[in-house]
Amino acid sequence: MTYSQPRTDAAQGRLAFRSVTKRYGPTVALSEFTHEFAPGRVHALMGKNGSGKSTLIKLLAGVTEPTSGTISVNGRDQAFTSPHDAFDAGIVTVHQELSLVPELSVGENIFLGRLPHTRRAGFRVVDWKGLHRRAAELLSDMGLTIDSRKPVSALSVGQQQVVEIVKAMSFNPSILLLDEPTSALASKEVKQLFALIERLRARGVTMIYITHRMSELFEIADTCTVIRDGHYIGAVEMRATSPAEIVGMMFGDAARTTRPPRQAIDRVKPLLEVRGLTRAGHFNDVSFDLYRGEILGIAGLLGSGRTELMRAIFGADRIDAGTVHLEGRSMTGATPSQMRAAGLGYTPENRKEVGLVQSLPTADNLCMASLGPIARNGLISRRREQPHVDRQIVDLHIKCGDPELPVSSLSGGNQQKVVIGKWLNTAPSVMFFDEPSRGVDVQAKRQIFDIIWQKASEGLSSIFVSTELEEVLEVADRILVMHHGSVVAEVDPTRTDLTQLYGLCMEGASK
Amino acid sequence: MTLVSQTTEGDGQNVPLRLLKTYPMEIILAALVLFLILMAPGFASTANILNVLRTVAMLGIIAFGMTAVIISGEIDLSVGAGVALAGCIVAWFADAYTDAIGGWSAVILGFAVALTVGFSLGYLTGRFRQWFNVPTFITTLALFAALRGVANLITGGFPLSTFPAGFDFLGGGYLFGIPFPVYIFALTFAAMHFLMKYTSFGREVYAVGGNMEAARLSGIDIWKVKALTLGLTGALTAISGTLIASQIGAGTGTTATGMELDVIAAVIIGGTSLFGGKGRIWGTLIGVLFLGCISNGMTLMNVSEYWQYVVRGGIILGAVLLNQVLERVR
Repeated sequence: MTYSQPRTDAAQGRLAFRSVTKRYGPTVALSEFTHEFAPGRVHALMGKNGSGKSTLIKLLAGVTEPTSGTISVNGRDQAFTSPHDAFDAGIVTVHQELSLVPELSVGENIFLGRLPHTRRAGFRVVDWKGLHRRAAELLSDMGLTIDSRKPVSALSVGQQQVVEIVKAMSFNPSILLLDEPTSALASKEVKQLFALIERLRARGVTMIYITHRMSELFEIADTCTVIRDGHYIGAVEMRATSPAEIVGMMFGDAARTTRPPRQAIDRVKPLLEVRGLTRAGHFNDVSFDLYRGEILGIAGLLGSGRTELMRAIFGADRIDAGTVHLEGRSMTGATPSQMRAAGLGYTPENRKEVGLVQSLPTADNLCMASLGPIARNGLISRRREQPHVDRQIVDLHIKCGDPELPVSSLSGGNQQKVVIGKWLNTAPSVMFFDEPSRGVDVQAKRQIFDIIWQKASEGLSSIFVSTELEEVLEVADRILVMHHGSVVAEVDPTRTDLTQLYGLCMEGASK
Repeated sequence: MTLVSQTTEGDGQNVPLRLLKTYPMEIILAALVLFLILMAPGFASTANILNVLRTVAMLGIIAFGMTAVIISGEIDLSVGAGVALAGCIVAWFADAYTDAIGGWSAVILGFAVALTVGFSLGYLTGRFRQWFNVPTFITTLALFAALRGVANLITGGFPLSTFPAGFDFLGGGYLFGIPFPVYIFALTFAAMHFLMKYTSFGREVYAVGGNMEAARLSGIDIWKVKALTLGLTGALTAISGTLIASQIGAGTGTTATGMELDVIAAVIIGGTSLFGGKGRIWGTLIGVLFLGCISNGMTLMNVSEYWQYVVRGGIILGAVLLNQVLERVR
């Protein structure tokens, strides 16, 4: 078999897009994208969330098909109808989530689904010796010293990412797609990964590299291609550009977001005090105060530790150090039920999975966090619950038809409102909103923001987290910026624009 | 099903169809009872019906608890062994303390101990899941094996039958012409139905079984809920075990062999999902009656014991398939 042999005839991959458009129903994810990626170079692909990056990757990986336009590899037009087609054209994707089986060995993972076989006493059996020999060849060929017999679970995340790339390279691709390969890596592991990328570049592999970390671009990429709202904006040589230029291309002349008039916040006595909070590997030494009626935004990229911080304060995850005080009471190390009793509510980012019990009716979900107060002597009935159900449905404009139907029948926006309503039924004094606008339509998003503002004017303190920085700027009274698990800046949204905030999120405090 | 299509013609078709979708097991049970009344000699006699109800009662008392356990997303395989253990504990106390404190006091003391042991074992099974992440399937499988051993150790391997006069009334006697265990069965049904439907605890059981993490993030003490449902089932097992010991007049380590499977089968036939979060006490009542009628009917019709096993297996699979199909149709 040839796949274990390193190819010496420099794998060339010239990738060209001609007017490629992808529609999902009425939404245009990618519009008339035309660009040629020169062979043998590392091309960074930049764009904010929803800009069309992932659509582009999906098209290249053969996961979806373009609505119109053509993709060509080395001058030959391609029509990928399955990931297999992309494979055959020499395109291999390393996805953001690792796709290795942790219990299996490195070698077995590399050859998963195509294990080499041999004949023993007339039986067709797996050729373990051959497998590990080939795996070892591949690994050393990439300049790595990983034992191919080790289980993947024994490796660090960085090594796992590298194994993932080795696995991809065992297919001998001419084009390699790397989707945020460094998002989970520590800086030392990033170095190791970059060394591998350098090696592949020297061999002539064309790479498309997606990242949110601006500093990495200048370290590893040759060019940077920017897309915005599905449109090709431009491509620049890294040698001849600056972070500011790239951010400018990503956001365009983003109009300043409009904020409703907000009342002044009395910042004398904090309601929630967090001091030196640390959860090893997630966030480190985080301190902040939250005041009555204030909406505190937390900005940061995926993996910056925002969600982990909120979960830990809420008591859903263990903390390693630091203290939490709510209304002057020490709540360090409390459980979610104690936090709820103390007046804290939390709407999690993944509402479908952990925000709601999908099999239960809307009514049950709305009362789920407040069964204690609704019940009298532990007894509960629909009659007792009804006012609580009705109030939230009316206040939050939840469109649910019959509240006795499973909540799974509602749209994303309405489900999100049910999660919020569930917590408002507990009459909280502090609310954590983690990505409340994710996956909801524009109108529902407006309504959710209105609810947050309305409740704030009634004295509710909240923390608002969103990947969409425009939203954080719009909704929050004050913004903390998190980077690699630390709070690196505090900014006033009235005196900050998107470009500055994005820069802070990507670079931390250093620039 | 053929029954329904026979009785319907033309435009009235969708009403029975809807009924069949909403009350599938109720209709099938009714059809079965009708069939047995017509085909099984002696099925419809009062004595036989009361006999079925008595048998069903012992099973059902536990099955109602098991329903809560399964809805909460767990399982308890130890109830058969738990029945034997409870009977042996009561019998041992009657044997050892009758001289000292009188027969009935000894029985009551033994029952209190059996109840405490049953509840504690269940409760700790739940906490084991929390503390050591041991699935309840494993813990209760271990108990399934161990409790029978303990029961035999208590009795020394022989049936213990020193009970006070009148003790046999609990399992074998009649009150107003109805077997006494049937009252306990009815009471347990009412209590569990109420608990699951009209208390915040019951709501929490559904939430925990439907989505453990969502329940936890709603501030529900998920482990307490699970431990309590298991403890409750342990206590109900002790009650059933005492009734059975009374009925057979002895505490033995070999009582109720294989009962756990009948209990779980009844719960599943009643439409409770093994994945958790879905199920009703009412459904389990139907499931229990269904199993009771089937085995009684087959015995009356002289079906061999081996065939009865085969039929029971088929029914369990059929009930689950029916529920899956209906889920899709709804």
